[in-house]
Amino acid sequence: MTELDVAGRLALLERMWLIRAFEEKVSELFARGQVVGLIHLGIGSEGSAVGICSALRDDDYVFGNHRSHAHAIAKGADVDRLMAEIAGKAAGYCKGKGGSMHISAPEVGFVTATGVVGGNIALALGAALTSVTTGDTRVSVAFFGDGAGQSGGLHESLNLAALWKLPVVFVCENNGYAEFSPLSAHTVVERLTDYASVYSIPAVTVDGGDVMEVRRAADHAVARTRAGEGPMFIEVLTHRLRGHYEGDPAAYRELSEREEWTTRDPVARFRAELDEAGVAADTIAATEAAARASIAGAAEFAVAASGPGLDEATTDVYAL
Amino acid sequence: MTTELRFIDAIHAGLQASLAADDAVVVIGEDVTYGGPFGATKGLADEFGRHRVRDTPISEATVMGMATGAAVTGLRPVVEVMFVDFITLAMDQLVNHAAKLHFMSGGQLRVPLTVRVQGGVRGRFGAHHSQSLESWFTHTPGLKVVAPAFPGDAKALLEAAIADDNPVVYLEHRGLYWDKGPMHSDPVDGAVVRRPGADVTIVSYSKMVHSALAAAERLAESGVGAEVIDLRWLEPLDTATVFESVSKTGRAVVAHEAVTRGGLGAEIAATIQREAFAELLAPVARVGAAFAPVAAAADLEDAFLPGLAEIERAASSLMTFGPTPA
Amino acid sequence: MTPDLPQNQLVDLLRRMLVIRRFEEALIKLAGEFDIGHFHVYIGQESTGVPALAQLQTGDLAFTTHRNHGHLLARGTDPAAMLAEILGKATGTNKGKGGTLHIASPEHGFPTTSAVTGGCTPLATGAAFGFSRRGVDRVSVCLFGDGALEEGSYHESINIAALEALPVIYLCENNSLEALGQKANEYPSSTMSAAPLTDLAASFKVPTITVDGTDTGAVHAAMAEAIGRARGGGGPTFVEALTVRWPGNRPLWPQLLTGVTDLTFAWDEAAIPEEHSKWHGAQDGLLRYVRELVTAGHIATDDVLALDGEVSTQIEDAVQFALDSPYPEPESAFEGVYA
Repeated sequence: MTELDVAGRLALLERMWLIRAFEEKVSELFARGQVVGLIHLGIGSEGSAVGICSALRDDDYVFGNHRSHAHAIAKGADVDRLMAEIAGKAAGYCKGKGGSMHISAPEVGFVTATGVVGGNIALALGAALTSVTTGDTRVSVAFFGDGAGQSGGLHESLNLAALWKLPVVFVCENNGYAEFSPLSAHTVVERLTDYASVYSIPAVTVDGGDVMEVRRAADHAVARTRAGEGPMFIEVLTHRLRGHYEGDPAAYRELSEREEWTTRDPVARFRAELDEAGVAADTIAATEAAARASIAGAAEFAVAASGPGLDEATTDVYAL
Repeated sequence: MTTELRFIDAIHAGLQASLAADDAVVVIGEDVTYGGPFGATKGLADEFGRHRVRDTPISEATVMGMATGAAVTGLRPVVEVMFVDFITLAMDQLVNHAAKLHFMSGGQLRVPLTVRVQGGVRGRFGAHHSQSLESWFTHTPGLKVVAPAFPGDAKALLEAAIADDNPVVYLEHRGLYWDKGPMHSDPVDGAVVRRPGADVTIVSYSKMVHSALAAAERLAESGVGAEVIDLRWLEPLDTATVFESVSKTGRAVVAHEAVTRGGLGAEIAATIQREAFAELLAPVARVGAAFAPVAAAADLEDAFLPGLAEIERAASSLMTFGPTPA
Repeated sequence: MTPDLPQNQLVDLLRRMLVIRRFEEALIKLAGEFDIGHFHVYIGQESTGVPALAQLQTGDLAFTTHRNHGHLLARGTDPAAMLAEILGKATGTNKGKGGTLHIASPEHGFPTTSAVTGGCTPLATGAAFGFSRRGVDRVSVCLFGDGALEEGSYHESINIAALEALPVIYLCENNSLEALGQKANEYPSSTMSAAPLTDLAASFKVPTITVDGTDTGAVHAAMAEAIGRARGGGGPTFVEALTVRWPGNRPLWPQLLTGVTDLTFAWDEAAIPEEHSKWHGAQDGLLRYVRELVTAGHIATDDVLALDGEVSTQIEDAVQFALDSPYPEPESAFEGVYA
């Protein structure tokens, strides 16, 4: 497993900043009514998304969930087209027909997101099945939250992936909350890795606030699955800095909890880490500036873009 | 000399041909290496390898989702659901993913998935093994649905379904499995007129086509010419063939084994009356099962199941419909 | 071992097992002459179902699956009404509408049988949920096989049962050693990668017990513990009972491959034929129980045969009742869709 050099780390930081800036911008556009619909932001999950996706090949598969802007960006999606899609514009990845929860950018390996909790997990198994059938050594990643941990589909998938030694990396982003209730209201299980261990799937828990810790776990998991050793499970402890969806004031969160986690912000921590490692302050700052400039451009692009023609409501029902 | 095969063997032949023609085709389902409960997949694992014909656990939801995920990444999966009654467990993945990914992705993803399901009444198997659920699928935009009635179509339409880049639900009726019939290389699109007639059109599919043909024989004895249409594809519906026939006869009966209320017959009847109202000499009649689950007892199952008698009765009543002569 | 029970109760357990065994044998013989769909027999598992379910009280509920006859008979459901149902007669438990796969006898604590693998699991969990919310002293038993563990519904159910400490017992009858489609005799199998199966419950912090399903006393003790925990508010238990699938259950349709059970095999080893000697000598839990009772002096061999004679007569009467009963009126096919 290669340790990243400074350039590599700066690239990670820039990608994290890209996500942070993107999500903040989406929130801003939503407040202005320029983005509508059901939007779930991943502010605070940048360490997980970038840590995992940066360990993947361009042609590896990622399947996201309802909170997957970060995953798509981490996998290399174009932010202009992504923003346009969330804004429901024709220039979006899905011509404005998918929206925030159904992003699809297959050319960068982000196959699809979905609004069905846990629904992407079986899809990821399918992509892994394609890999083993064609022998193309691609790996498939499914991102899901702690709320999906109790879904029957996850357990069926763990069993099947283990049985068939499918190259799947199950990534559970445990942010402690499923919609509006804490994990403890959903299960007595505290460590979601326990679900994987039952099927003898190697499982680790890592701190989502530390992008390098996530990256190291991802490197290990991806290498193993790509080598045909079967599926892996990574539980990433993250924090959801905003409510479940835009508009949710998250009154159910304890204020002290928020303060505690704000100090575990993956972006702030990694920035500090690079600073301690002696990277120049303006080099570090440049990553944020570059990211914000990209996102400003994406917002401009998305807001100016036109909506899809009305006939698009009934096209693409079937492949011709 | 045309090959004659039993329906179940025609399915086998269709799978075999598809597996041979395209490496991307894989067959997955419960007990498929064994051959499944009726032998449709027998021997295929040995012939094509266990990496292409795979047994799954009893996890319909995940198996359907996995097949969908494989379909959008380059495989052409044929997933078997042992009884259509159990597709309920897989409906989320089928309806929310397989049917919609092409649309939601703005056309970027294609879902060349085939779902083979067996159903219908046969053998006193009771309420969980006897349903006809095709209107759930025809009511879902994005799914195609096909229901062969003859062995030749069983093979040809299965190959067409597998070759289609859309998710296709391929409906089998186990009551047809042991019928023998010739293979063909006729067109696979659209409906087929199985028997020409001038007086009344009977639109049907799957096993009911045979009841319709038998009813047509009986009607002929009393001088009524029934034209029997075998729809084959339930989505897309070949309304052109139906309208052409009704324009000629002026009378239509739609017959299926599924429950009448909310069944596909309702859609077809509504479409006929909207498009061919001027040609109609009588209302469109529907023949289907009563609005009840399927009882297990032999006589109750028989009472539930519509067939020749109901179709004949419906067609005859259309012949006498109209103002009473002075 | 034999359960820790007084002699009359030990004999009662034997009686229930014999009722099941003779019922299923009679059914297999009848099946050839009647149009009754696909059915599943409980031969070889009586030593699990009987000691387990005999401990339930009136008002406790059990939800079962396709291999249900033994469960219903174990709790005293009338064999005549059951056989009539299987033959589709109007006098059947479900008036001929359910058939073998859906037999229901609420008065004996069986609201329904589901033919969907794992279909009973959420139902049993829900019944326990109801008991818990209403604060009544009742337990719910979920009866299923190893195959049901492959369904997502099992995981969702046991998660909720553990979370809410529901009074439900998940009794998994693992008869898959040598079953159709499975890798013979071992786990992980070709369809389940977890081993042992109890891990699937332990991961939810549910207490588990693994027991030899042919050992009546062990099953009895295991269920006593599980029922006690449930009644005491301690939540669910997962019990895995292991049996070897009866040879007659290995083909797709049941066949009397080991013949009509000869109870003398329980005490006269020399009488056991070469063919299926392992079954008769070691794997059949019913014969094992008889063997244990006789050896311990709880019942004389003559009394065993006399009891069997009474049961056989009861089953013959049940068969006759079923044969003589009328079929339901065709119109009843459309009744009872709604309350």
